[in-house]
Amino acid sequence: MSILYILIPLAVVLLAIAIWALIWAIKNGQFDDLETHGWSVVLDDDQKPPNFDESSEEEDKRDIEQ
Amino acid sequence: MESDGQPHAVCCSGCEAVANLILQSGQSRYYQFRTENAIKPSDEDVGVAESWKRYDERHSLWGNPLKNGQYELLLQVEGIRCAACAWLIRSQLEARDGIDQVQVDVATGFVSVNWQPKKLLLSRVASTLAGVGYRPHLPLAGAEAIGRQQERREALKRLGVAGLGMMQVMMFAVGLYAGDAMGISEGPERFLQLISLIVTTPVLLYSGRVFYTSAFRSLSQRRVGMDVPVALAISVAFIMSCINFLNGTGHVYFDSVVMFIFFLSLGRYAELVIRHRNLQTGLALARLLPEWAELILDGRSEQVPATDLKVGDHVRVRAGHTLPADGLVISGSTEADEALLTGESRPVLKNVGDPVIAGSVNRSQTVEVEVTKDPDNSTVSMMGRMLLKSQTQRSRFTRLSERYAGWFVAAVLVVASLTAVWWLIHDTEMLFPATLAVLVISCPCALSLATPAAIASSSRALLEQGVLLTRGEALEYLGNIDTVVFDKTGTLTSGTPSVVETVINPKRNEFDVQGALEIAALLEVDSSHPVSTAFSVVQVSREDVLDIINHENGVEGRVGGIRYRLGNASFTGVNVIDITGGLGRLWLADEAGWIARFDLDDGLRDSANETMNALRAKGLELIILSGDQPQAVASVAERVGIDNWYAEQNPKMKMDFLESLQAGGKCVLMVGDGSNDAPVLSAANISMTVSGASELANSTADFIITGKSLKYIEYTLNLGYTTRTVIRQNLLWALAYNLLAVPFAAAGLIVPWMAALGMSLSSLLVVLNSGRLSKRKLRPKAPLIPRKSIL
Repeated sequence: MSILYILIPLAVVLLAIAIWALIWAIKNGQFDDLETHGWSVVLDDDQKPPNFDESSEEEDKRDIEQ
Repeated sequence: MESDGQPHAVCCSGCEAVANLILQSGQSRYYQFRTENAIKPSDEDVGVAESWKRYDERHSLWGNPLKNGQYELLLQVEGIRCAACAWLIRSQLEARDGIDQVQVDVATGFVSVNWQPKKLLLSRVASTLAGVGYRPHLPLAGAEAIGRQQERREALKRLGVAGLGMMQVMMFAVGLYAGDAMGISEGPERFLQLISLIVTTPVLLYSGRVFYTSAFRSLSQRRVGMDVPVALAISVAFIMSCINFLNGTGHVYFDSVVMFIFFLSLGRYAELVIRHRNLQTGLALARLLPEWAELILDGRSEQVPATDLKVGDHVRVRAGHTLPADGLVISGSTEADEALLTGESRPVLKNVGDPVIAGSVNRSQTVEVEVTKDPDNSTVSMMGRMLLKSQTQRSRFTRLSERYAGWFVAAVLVVASLTAVWWLIHDTEMLFPATLAVLVISCPCALSLATPAAIASSSRALLEQGVLLTRGEALEYLGNIDTVVFDKTGTLTSGTPSVVETVINPKRNEFDVQGALEIAALLEVDSSHPVSTAFSVVQVSREDVLDIINHENGVEGRVGGIRYRLGNASFTGVNVIDITGGLGRLWLADEAGWIARFDLDDGLRDSANETMNALRAKGLELIILSGDQPQAVASVAERVGIDNWYAEQNPKMKMDFLESLQAGGKCVLMVGDGSNDAPVLSAANISMTVSGASELANSTADFIITGKSLKYIEYTLNLGYTTRTVIRQNLLWALAYNLLAVPFAAAGLIVPWMAALGMSLSSLLVVLNSGRLSKRKLRPKAPLIPRKSIL
């Protein structure tokens, strides 16, 4: 049973690390937006949305306010 | 947007872009549609880039400086509705050189951009956003918004710490309970207790601190708040556990302490998120006004902040721009869209000398306007103040749980101290466990869950039907409603004209109703006049009509070789005194005389009649309050069978009327759609907006109905009644459980862990009972497309 005296304090240390990581994540705004990132899985990175910026002449004509 | 050649409505630019993407990846044919429908960016987007150019050199507007020349800029962005919007904004902005990180908060519409002014102009950031259909604004309440975000983060940290701590302590507690049951040697037992103490202490000090501050605050105000027994219970349990641990005798209750803190933090966090969501009103109002105005001084024009305008200033308002202040037109004429303020969807003609109001949109031509009111006293600002006033008075929802909380808490404390005194005299060994069991078992957990759990389930059911619930308590109070007040234009009616009656000239019975309608539709086929929409539901082919001539009072054209005229009585040569009811009458005539008469009126929304009958059957009093002319109101009132109607009501009069109703003890549900209704919506006991309502109106509404049908009003009411029943069942159960269990706890028959388990089971029962609500559906399924109101 003496292994408990090592494993349990170890668990407490891990707990401290987990809490530190959580607080770090919250401070960095990781939990501010819980909706958007779920979408990143469905949307391929190589497929950018149609570019509507005026920097490109041709794209300029596309407008999404139909 | 279009797919398969059919137009489809989308909620926002984000969804549209996503839908486009899906189509693009699925079928390249999509591009064919795309090029066909290519439209130039609207003038408004160009206007955004123009007006933001002035900010480029203003360092104070760049945001908070970060390291490496980066700035963190907070923007309030219009039109963010869902996660797709956030994705679109992020992928657009982050693709630009000079923008490093973008965060979008869908709930509040705030976008935070980390950018480098050295590489990119501020106006480019704004125009990129405007280019994808989201209009950026510098946040008026930016500091408050950041404050709210901080508050939310703090609460989340407390919750997270409590949650992680609870998991650990519960694990050790399992060991201790197992030890109790099967025997454990003293060494490991004291070790587990020590570790529990070590983990519990920071949880108590960090996550539990809010309960202490709140308890002290309420005590210093000489009130007994909900947090007093909470603070007492966790302190007693923690201190007694420490004493027991140090003495090496008796039980420790660290698990109860952390569990208690965690569950309460969870509830508080949910409440906080909902509260923040409701704080968006003032911001919606600010968006109605433009930031800049074009001031004309000695023949030169100059851009000044709209708030700097003074009475007597002359401003130029270009087509497509929003009027910056109330004033009189001094040169030019145009059509102004005052829909946001009056709810009237048709643009109003404005000539020299006509008054215009801030917030309305100049639709056709550039005009010059003399400012007659300070921006602070403009109609919009007055409305804003009315709105804020009625919102601050909105504490009418004193929740059942809050109303009785003081008494309940006092009762708990009395019972707990009586228990303590009793055991102190009789058996000091039982003093602590029994007192703690009383405190834990009487924890108003199930009681405080009774309402929110029911409301959460119902709001999910509502959401599935397209009804958004913005303020949970409103559902609970739907059952108290005894009067329903409707706005007319855009609420009971769809806001577009339609033919309500067709009368055929008895002498011309070679024509039938359908034939007459088809001829009329052909004559109107090219017309852009609002009236033509009344006939657009009739399917005709463009080739069947020739030689269309537009006159002032009607149209003329040749169908099947015969010349017809469609217009008012004198234009068509009908010799009658025309009575104008509703939106007027149109006559169809050929050279031999009149053929048919079309009575036009604002078309009723889908299932208006059924809904009104259903509401009447519930014994509700129905009233129409409208800003429109008496005849128009009377005609709609007659069609839906409401006797009680008031016409020509301005927002102030509507407000007075509503207050007099409430003063008479009525509980009022207001259904509206325009911004002019916003103050009344906000002052009403409960408010609903229908599809197509203005953003301002929506921001004050308790329920936002996204479907076109009025049927959802009845559905929402029914669900409200059921919700109230379920809440009552929940409260009854929770109270009964407390009343039943407390005597046993006081008698020392229940040990604290049993109390904690019972409390959880009781809460679970409440949640399960509430879950029944989410399965309630609208029967029969409402059609998504409004039925043709013609014929």
